[in-house]
Amino acid sequence: MVFFSNSPAMRLLLLLLILFSITSCWTRNSRPRFIDPHVHVWGNKPVYAARTEAKTISYLDSALPVIVPGNIYAKGNFIYQLEIGKGIHVIDKTNPAQAERIGFITVNGSSQISIKDNYLYTNNYDDLVVIDISNSNSVSVVKRVAGAFPEGASNYFYIEPIESGYYECPRYDSVVVAWVKDSIWTSCSKN
Amino acid sequence: MKFSFYKSSLVVMVSIFLFSCSKDGTPDSAAANSTGKAGSLSKFAIAGNYLYAVDNTQLYTYDITDPANPIQTNTSFLGFAIETIYPFNNRLFIGTTTGMFIYSIDVPAAPVQVGSASHVRSCDPVVANDSIAFVTLKGNSSCGPAVSGLYVHDIRNVFAPQLIKTLELPSPEGLALEGGILYICCNNDGLKVFNVLNPANPIEIRTVTGAYFKDVIPYGDLLICYVSTGIILYDISDPTNPVMLKLIENA
Repeated sequence: MVFFSNSPAMRLLLLLLILFSITSCWTRNSRPRFIDPHVHVWGNKPVYAARTEAKTISYLDSALPVIVPGNIYAKGNFIYQLEIGKGIHVIDKTNPAQAERIGFITVNGSSQISIKDNYLYTNNYDDLVVIDISNSNSVSVVKRVAGAFPEGASNYFYIEPIESGYYECPRYDSVVVAWVKDSIWTSCSKN
Repeated sequence: MKFSFYKSSLVVMVSIFLFSCSKDGTPDSAAANSTGKAGSLSKFAIAGNYLYAVDNTQLYTYDITDPANPIQTNTSFLGFAIETIYPFNNRLFIGTTTGMFIYSIDVPAAPVQVGSASHVRSCDPVVANDSIAFVTLKGNSSCGPAVSGLYVHDIRNVFAPQLIKTLELPSPEGLALEGGILYICCNNDGLKVFNVLNPANPIEIRTVTGAYFKDVIPYGDLLICYVSTGIILYDISDPTNPVMLKLIENA
């Protein structure tokens, strides 16, 4: 590690290396920006919610703003839109000219959706979950296939810290509720 | 003479096909139609009693005859950087950063690869019918160096897809096929509406601007567009002329 901190030239090289590694793995889906090599620095560390919260699926009977929009899906009088990593917006389009968001299904770590009859399929991090949406003001999980998408785990989406610089890549199966400054191993970086 | 006869009969065949199925996607028409419609950027697809899901490298198959109780029947290794999955009849079309894979689901519990069309690295959703696959390639710093545009493949022989047309387009992303009309989201360059009755010669009818278009679902008389600022609904009673009904803003 001394190698990298010795001279301005080496620091520049490290910066270029980091920038290259950022752009090289950047895809349309904003995958985590893993940084190599690992260095010990002062940076942002994730604060996680209780483990149970990550796997709790619930319905909010009111509209939420769209922050990180994802895939859309249409069925019957409704449109569904992913809020990447957070859940699914429900839009009532019965009267298209007055269409609006009416509710939100909280599914942490979600990125995909499909529906058959009254059953909605999505991913809760790397689990496949089946959600009964027959009731207009509540949802219930009727089946969970744990670890159904082991590869997809690395595609987990999360909100980066507000400030740029190094941060610790969050665990893919946990909810990040805040970021705190701490001594961390560099694993992710934000421009 | 032979060639032109072949060409015109292809146009007729495709036209008949496109018109004959233009109502297939109409929602709310039959109780049997129990699934909805996904955008072209989706990684989940339902065909018949099966749910097909892709992650980075694998295709997972679930029997959902009992929709509340999916049972995994198969896992196939596909390769790297899987982006999208699109079902049509007995085929799955899988878009990856290096090409389009066609899987047969004649045995729905165990899809098998039948054909593929590889291309320069890029981002590429795909939509298709029985004879033609439309792929948009988006070449840029994040996706790869391919020339951005619409790539039309003749897939009547699924074992050996033939590239029959490439059309350069700015930043194409999600797309949708409805009847003989192809809608292509070109980000800031708008939503492009093409007549593709002759798929070897797509004719641009118009461009709808005013938003950053990402993906699109035709749903009956409604065109649902995922744009950067929200969702825009258009009336497409005339499929060639989307008329804006509503912008549902993100915030």
